[in-house]
Amino acid sequence: MELATVIMVPAREDLTAIHGAHPQAQPLYSSRMPILGNDVLRAWMKRIRTLGVQNLWLTSTPANGRGTWFALADFARQGIERFLIIKLKSYAELDLADFVSFHRESRNSVTEAQDGRGLLGVSLLDRAALLCDKQLESQDAGERNPYEFRGYAKRILSARERQELVGDALIGACSMRPRGTEIRKQVWVGRDVQLAESAKIIGPSYIGERTVVRAGATIGPFASVERDCVVDCGTAIERSTVLPFSYVGPGLLIQHKLQDGRYLVDLLGGEVGGEVADLQPAGLGNRIPFHGTARQESRRTPADEPEHAGAAAWGFAPFSTASQPWLQVQM
Amino acid sequence: MGFCPLFDRIATLASGADVKNKLATILSFPGTSTSASRSELRGHFLNALRVSESPVVIDFSGCNTLNHDDIDLLIECAARVSGRDREVRFAAGSRVIRVLLEVTRISSIVPVFDSVEEALAIVQVPRMDFDDAGQSPDSGEYL
Repeated sequence: MELATVIMVPAREDLTAIHGAHPQAQPLYSSRMPILGNDVLRAWMKRIRTLGVQNLWLTSTPANGRGTWFALADFARQGIERFLIIKLKSYAELDLADFVSFHRESRNSVTEAQDGRGLLGVSLLDRAALLCDKQLESQDAGERNPYEFRGYAKRILSARERQELVGDALIGACSMRPRGTEIRKQVWVGRDVQLAESAKIIGPSYIGERTVVRAGATIGPFASVERDCVVDCGTAIERSTVLPFSYVGPGLLIQHKLQDGRYLVDLLGGEVGGEVADLQPAGLGNRIPFHGTARQESRRTPADEPEHAGAAAWGFAPFSTASQPWLQVQM
Repeated sequence: MGFCPLFDRIATLASGADVKNKLATILSFPGTSTSASRSELRGHFLNALRVSESPVVIDFSGCNTLNHDDIDLLIECAARVSGRDREVRFAAGSRVIRVLLEVTRISSIVPVFDSVEEALAIVQVPRMDFDDAGQSPDSGEYL
């Protein structure tokens, strides 16, 4: 096989490693959290399909990447010539075919994609690079030939960049589109949304499936309330994101924030993640447990599954050769 | 504290958590919120309103989070001074407390500062009356 593709979903402990975020940020959002109903993993899979690749392996990166490296080396020994490795930490509208062509033409063993803000977590490795003793991270920068990407990219594990992606997708400044029905200009809602008559929706904004918006609440502008949330009476959500299964208490003003269950990140508070406030003691926010009805269960999509369980829902087959759990996806 | 002579004067009077003089009353919000500690703070607050006309500053620097009883108390404090010639200010101490005061909209009814020093730095100087020569009748005693 000439090209194999591996997507690495950062494990929770990887969040702090990647972003140096406050340890309190660990229970927060992950790369698998939907963005306007979209799964970034699926967005990458769609791009990978354009390469005509038949097999994709999915793995969760541990804090220590040595296991992953050894597993890739195992694949290389089995005859795979080249690996496209995507760390699921960014959304990038990358032309993978062009990326592969660049790698071939540059004749380097390792090519990494980067933009003006640094590496995007997308790299191509030749078999030779894997079979040498040095890991990718320990190789000299001189041995790498970066692929300069000038298109649209955002680091989705950064709360601030994530919100920038939401804003851009809502106004059509990137190719991501909200998953739902556009009920009026720049206002999208998912299925089974319950909006109180007195609730006000200001575009651009998005309300995900089964979310309940109670009386007097205001959503928008530039707000994303993902699926299965409850926004209580009188609360205003502006330029913010509420992640799935979150309860937002009554009478609140959520501006420039990211809420994940009981936790609230201030998007203006710092470069990475900002400060994390706990809303639960004040009864202002919480995680809504999933108590799906049979009807809801039948409608669940793979993206509805909890993190790390989604692979099974997509029919991923466990791959046992590797030293850690790997899942093979038939494209 | 050199940048704020006003705070210097208050600080020299400090003995324990609470500081009180004619310029401002500083009350420390309890780090561990209990019914008793809230009741005590409420008592101090009401007493400060009763005995002094100076602003009351509630200092959250020893506090990591707020629960719903705390928020009820803060709203009561704001309500107590509302419509009266009195003022309460909050010194958030941390970004987390400031965020909680913002999302509950308390910051829209009570001025919130990062620290006690900042809260005191804008304590209003009493209005001065000048004589015909432009001299203050009690110059040097603004504070």
